[in-house]
Amino acid sequence: MAKKPVSDETQSNREISIEQRETEGLSLGTIVRRRFFRHKAAVASLIVLFLIALLAFTSVGVVIGGSGKLVVNQETGRLIVDGLRIEGWWKYNWYENYPVLNSGGTPTLSLWPFQIGEHPFGQDTLGKDIFARVMRGIQQSLLVIALVGTIATLIGVIVGSVSGFFRGRLDSLLMRFTDVIIIIPTLVLGAVLGRTFGGNAVSLGILLGLIAWTGLARLVRAEFLSLREREFVDAARVAGASNARIIFRHILPNAIGVIVVNATLLMSAAILIETSLSYLGFGIVAPDISLGQIISEYNEAFKTRPWLFWYPGLFIVLIALAINFVGDGLRDAFDPRQRRLPRQGGAWQDLKKLIAERGQK
Amino acid sequence: MLGFVVRRLAATLVVLLVASFLVYVLTAMSGDPLADLRSAGTRQALVQLASLEERLNLDVPPVLRYFLWLGGAAGCLIGRCDLGISIAQGEQPVIDALGAAMGSTLQLVTLATILSIIVGITIGMTTALRQYSGYDYTVTFFAFVFYSLPIFWVAVLLKEFGAIRFNQFLDDPVLSPLATILISLGLGLVVAGIVGGGLKTRVRVFGISLLLSLAILTLSSLTQWLKSPSLGIIGVILLTSGLAFLITILNRGLDDRKAVWTAVGMVAAVAALWYPMQFLFFFVNNPLGILAAVVILGVVGFVVGTFFGGDDKKEISRLGAIIGAASVLVLVLDQMLMRFEEYKAAISLKAGFISTIGAVTPALARSDDMWLRMLDSFGHLILPTIALMIVSVAGYTRYSRASLLEVLNQDYIRTARAKGLPERTVIMRHAFRNAMIPIATIITFDIAGLIGGAIITERVFAWQGMGALFNKGLQAVDVNLVMGFFIVTGAIAVIFNIVADVLYSALDPRIRVN
Amino acid sequence: MNAPIIETKNLGVEFWVDGQWVMAATDINFSVSPGEVLAVVGESGSGKSTSAMSLLGLLPVNGRASGSVKLAGEELIGAEKKRLRQIRGEEIAVIFQEPMTALNPVYTIGFQISEALKVHYPKMTKAEAKERALSLLAMVELPDPEKAFNSYPHQLSGGQRQRAMIAQSLSCDPKLLIADEPTTALDVTVQAEILDLLRNLNQKLQSGVILITHDMGVVADLADRILVMKDGHSVEQGTADQIFNRPQHPYTQTLLASVPKLGRSARRFFEIPKDAKPVLSMENVSIVYPKRGKVAAFTAAKNVSFEIYQGEILGLVGESGSGKTTVGRAAIGLLPVSEGSIKLIGEEIAGATQKQLRGLRQRTGVVFQDPGSSLNPRLPIGESIGEPLLLAKKAEGEKLNQIVEDLLDSVELPRNYRNRYPHELSGGQRQRVGIARAISLNPDLLIADEPTSALDVSVQARFLDLLLDLQDKLKFACLFISHDLAVVDTLAHRIAVMQHGELVEIGDRDQILNNPQNEYTRKLISAVPVPDPQEQRQRREARAKSKL
Repeated sequence: MAKKPVSDETQSNREISIEQRETEGLSLGTIVRRRFFRHKAAVASLIVLFLIALLAFTSVGVVIGGSGKLVVNQETGRLIVDGLRIEGWWKYNWYENYPVLNSGGTPTLSLWPFQIGEHPFGQDTLGKDIFARVMRGIQQSLLVIALVGTIATLIGVIVGSVSGFFRGRLDSLLMRFTDVIIIIPTLVLGAVLGRTFGGNAVSLGILLGLIAWTGLARLVRAEFLSLREREFVDAARVAGASNARIIFRHILPNAIGVIVVNATLLMSAAILIETSLSYLGFGIVAPDISLGQIISEYNEAFKTRPWLFWYPGLFIVLIALAINFVGDGLRDAFDPRQRRLPRQGGAWQDLKKLIAERGQK
Repeated sequence: MLGFVVRRLAATLVVLLVASFLVYVLTAMSGDPLADLRSAGTRQALVQLASLEERLNLDVPPVLRYFLWLGGAAGCLIGRCDLGISIAQGEQPVIDALGAAMGSTLQLVTLATILSIIVGITIGMTTALRQYSGYDYTVTFFAFVFYSLPIFWVAVLLKEFGAIRFNQFLDDPVLSPLATILISLGLGLVVAGIVGGGLKTRVRVFGISLLLSLAILTLSSLTQWLKSPSLGIIGVILLTSGLAFLITILNRGLDDRKAVWTAVGMVAAVAALWYPMQFLFFFVNNPLGILAAVVILGVVGFVVGTFFGGDDKKEISRLGAIIGAASVLVLVLDQMLMRFEEYKAAISLKAGFISTIGAVTPALARSDDMWLRMLDSFGHLILPTIALMIVSVAGYTRYSRASLLEVLNQDYIRTARAKGLPERTVIMRHAFRNAMIPIATIITFDIAGLIGGAIITERVFAWQGMGALFNKGLQAVDVNLVMGFFIVTGAIAVIFNIVADVLYSALDPRIRVN
Repeated sequence: MNAPIIETKNLGVEFWVDGQWVMAATDINFSVSPGEVLAVVGESGSGKSTSAMSLLGLLPVNGRASGSVKLAGEELIGAEKKRLRQIRGEEIAVIFQEPMTALNPVYTIGFQISEALKVHYPKMTKAEAKERALSLLAMVELPDPEKAFNSYPHQLSGGQRQRAMIAQSLSCDPKLLIADEPTTALDVTVQAEILDLLRNLNQKLQSGVILITHDMGVVADLADRILVMKDGHSVEQGTADQIFNRPQHPYTQTLLASVPKLGRSARRFFEIPKDAKPVLSMENVSIVYPKRGKVAAFTAAKNVSFEIYQGEILGLVGESGSGKTTVGRAAIGLLPVSEGSIKLIGEEIAGATQKQLRGLRQRTGVVFQDPGSSLNPRLPIGESIGEPLLLAKKAEGEKLNQIVEDLLDSVELPRNYRNRYPHELSGGQRQRVGIARAISLNPDLLIADEPTSALDVSVQARFLDLLLDLQDKLKFACLFISHDLAVVDTLAHRIAVMQHGELVEIGDRDQILNNPQNEYTRKLISAVPVPDPQEQRQRREARAKSKL
């Protein structure tokens, strides 16, 4: 059906044309990147995330492959982790017990005067170094985040785009299936699956990835439903483009904003779910470590050794918050409607006027 | 409209059925429920093993066993529930275990949901109205922080700082002059920030709230009011006035003389009825008493509204009825606080009013006095509710802010302004209702998250509720118990679905018609 | 001469964009007397709407107004909010463009009108307000005021909604009425009715009217005086007679020259060559949108038959919902045909497979309606233009670039635009890219679906010229779909008229315009406003007579 001429002159139109001047010669990607880097909190968060990851992976080193179980080295008689171990620069590791120092393992970290000391985040009753444990926990939690982010985004995009593009029976079937997953609280489904198949970071990451895609699928579907009605899709079809080309070349790139933003939010939700499950004992369990598992292990010790509880929690909040801010920055960058307001008639203006008037006298 | 709800309900039930199948099979696959007995190897254990294997139909594969379970569960529809027995609960029928656990969890989840909706929407919409202000930025920042908090971690912090330290303060509720001044200054700044406006308004608002909080804090310190808080008739009148003022300002505005007179009339009526109500509450010491009070005050409000209503009888009498019903909240609070001393004597010396463990004080669970039990639940509910609310409030704040901003950009808002409507009417009548439409659907989604949150919260605060059952059931591969939990959460999801649908069609005539 | 109702001096509007104030309108001076209609005319971005909104203090939050606006001597710029609120609706009322979005969807029409009454007349009782609302709804000639009173906006048709909107704006007998593109969203026949209504009300109520529009036909129909705006400046002001017959400013002259005028374009002949086969032929085609959930099946086109030959332009005209776009989309197999046969270059489309269609589509091109969405925002222009060539495996790499540059030349766009993105182009440029894409495979058939409906008149004129030139050169058959009879008139050889999914008349351009056979065609032609005050008056009077 034909539409009548669209409005000629509206406020927004005019402003877009004003904004247009500034963006001449730039692709949408460049504009988005530029707007993102204007969002100070998001950029700062990105840096913080990077620093946390760097600290976690270099300090205690990593284990590649292997079962991840603790075994006793026949030659030295010391505990080691099964797999290829690359040592880090931190002198302690996360699975051995060390002599308890500093009155019951109190943290030696202090900001003023600044000193790191022997065990900056303290020790537990057995003498394990909490800094090393937290670092390893961060590694595993980040691993889970990455797995969930990748798997859930992949499934969500595939389900959503197939549903939204082909519509019809397939769509209703996929959406009902999505409803089935949504109606089971994520924590419940995660716990049941984690109890059955989980235990370590890799398996938990995959499991959570398999259930966390529902929201994204719905959003991508909605985006596809609206984008497939746009005229450039018809134009592509008339030009002889196949369905695959239309999906991948024409629609998907235009849905990238929704996907990227929600994939980020998905990842911040992932760390909270992972830590919650581990706290309940249905997620990552010893000997593997995660930030939630550490808190769970030391749950009863808050009264006597609060530091066992402080540091892992602090890093959970820090990571989740940073990812959320990055997501916010991305949302702003992809949303063309954002605009800053003039500061007019506010208290500051009144104050400035007052001061200016004083000065004149 | 009815057809719409029925169709949606049927679709949800099918989805729920498939979901329950999934949960059943997955849980059944998670391990051997009788592993302990098997390894025990004693003769007695072997006998028990055989009997349990038969009672739990363990010889049937999980996929088929589900349908056996479903047959029993379907009996609930005709009043003959059989959800099987729970091995984790000492072979207790699951239905009994649920009965004991359901009350407290439902209380917790419902209270947290309602409060988060109210608080979240209020904050979200006010930030939208003051977009890009300091208040907006602050709230946005905290919404992000709250969104990033793990519940179990916050809950432990709340226990330590919210309960233990605050309880210590309650024992000797005297603020130092410095603290009083600092708190008042802070409050003044916050209120001035929220209200906003030009320098003049801000300074005035700051001054008023500073003086008011100084006066209140000093007074409560001097009288040690917090040590044994009570309202009495004066407190009731003051609180009811505040409530009536708020409802009137939101509903009709203070320019509406009829509304103001109705509000004043209602405060007078509540004051007059305070004494008679004492008798009602004394003699009908059960929930019916509260219901009766709601009805009585609602009717009184309706009559007062009709009396002052004039041409707007319908709207004003509705306003009166709302104020009347709301004032029961104040009366209930009054009744509870009357028993504060009694309550403190009843609980152990170490525990403070804000409880950190369990849903009830065992000694008071069987008390005859409903008000005492309510006060007790109240004390136990405070912390878990806050813990649950933190994430939800952050979510609702963001949603409602975005939704209202979207609506404020619509053409009909410009039309409403072009008609010359006062800003309050534009916002409350034209923007608010449209902004609520998308939020109504989000509520359904959120409820699943809250139930999940309840599992953790119950664990931290050691509640013997549904979440605890789930934990225990899953730990012991007790499929029946897990399924019992799932049925209840599913039912909650369905109920909220219906509520959202009804709300949705009530808000949006485009759906209602045909 | 009466004292003016409103008078502006050096009115200016600015917006805060990316850290600086950007001018949207400046130095606007005008006045409106009782009973007078002042038309503010201009193309998009000329600042006509914003200047009018600033009279009421209804600018968006990032806007501010300067200068002076006097309402019966009272200054409005910087007036107290409370006073402005009193003025809005009571002294100055507004009719907005899109009544669907301008009325609140969740309240009834009656409620929204009563609300406007009660806020300005607090003493008014409900019954009085209802009575007044009903009489207003009757005054705007709604057939059943009682029913309209109790209806929600979505239950009324577009024209009825606009009538309700007018009733609401008249509720407090405003001295000044601002009509912001009041008929742009409406079909021509409805537009004619609304214009009649506005004129009658204006004569009856003697209020001043500021009419904001881009449509010179509407201006010619209503305006006493005209203010022409461009890029935020007022370029010319005068009586309707002066502006239309003796325009002084070059911009006004070009503006008037660009407006397509019904029955004024050069005669164009097209002889169907003997024993030529039609490029596109439709025989008794029906298209049904199938039932979808609760939405019932809907027949968008029934029994449509026509043919287009090589070198011919067929104009397909109809109002919204007439099924003209449906027919256009079915012609290239974008919609399944329910009944009948469509032959494209001799091959049957009804029931063709995707593969067959793909082959056929290489010989067709389409120019779409909305310049905002017809190009993929993520692809540079060059890629959009080259896509058909690439997919038809006609060209690749360097050769493709060469062809794309030639195509850009032929639509008069700089070659370096190849690497630009759609958001960097204006609407007219985007539509020209659309043509370049459509002719890239040198098609036998070009379908243009309302390609100019979103363009300003001057841009539209350029676009139509280009299309005609290209058609002259390339000799493709063209199905030109439009709601605008005057536009179709400038380029079509034959015209087909659709109503409610049926083709009611088809014939030579001259026959359709001068001697229409069908009742609806006659109504349609007489409803088109002509950008000439005298002629428009005559047409109006003729129309009024024929009604009696």
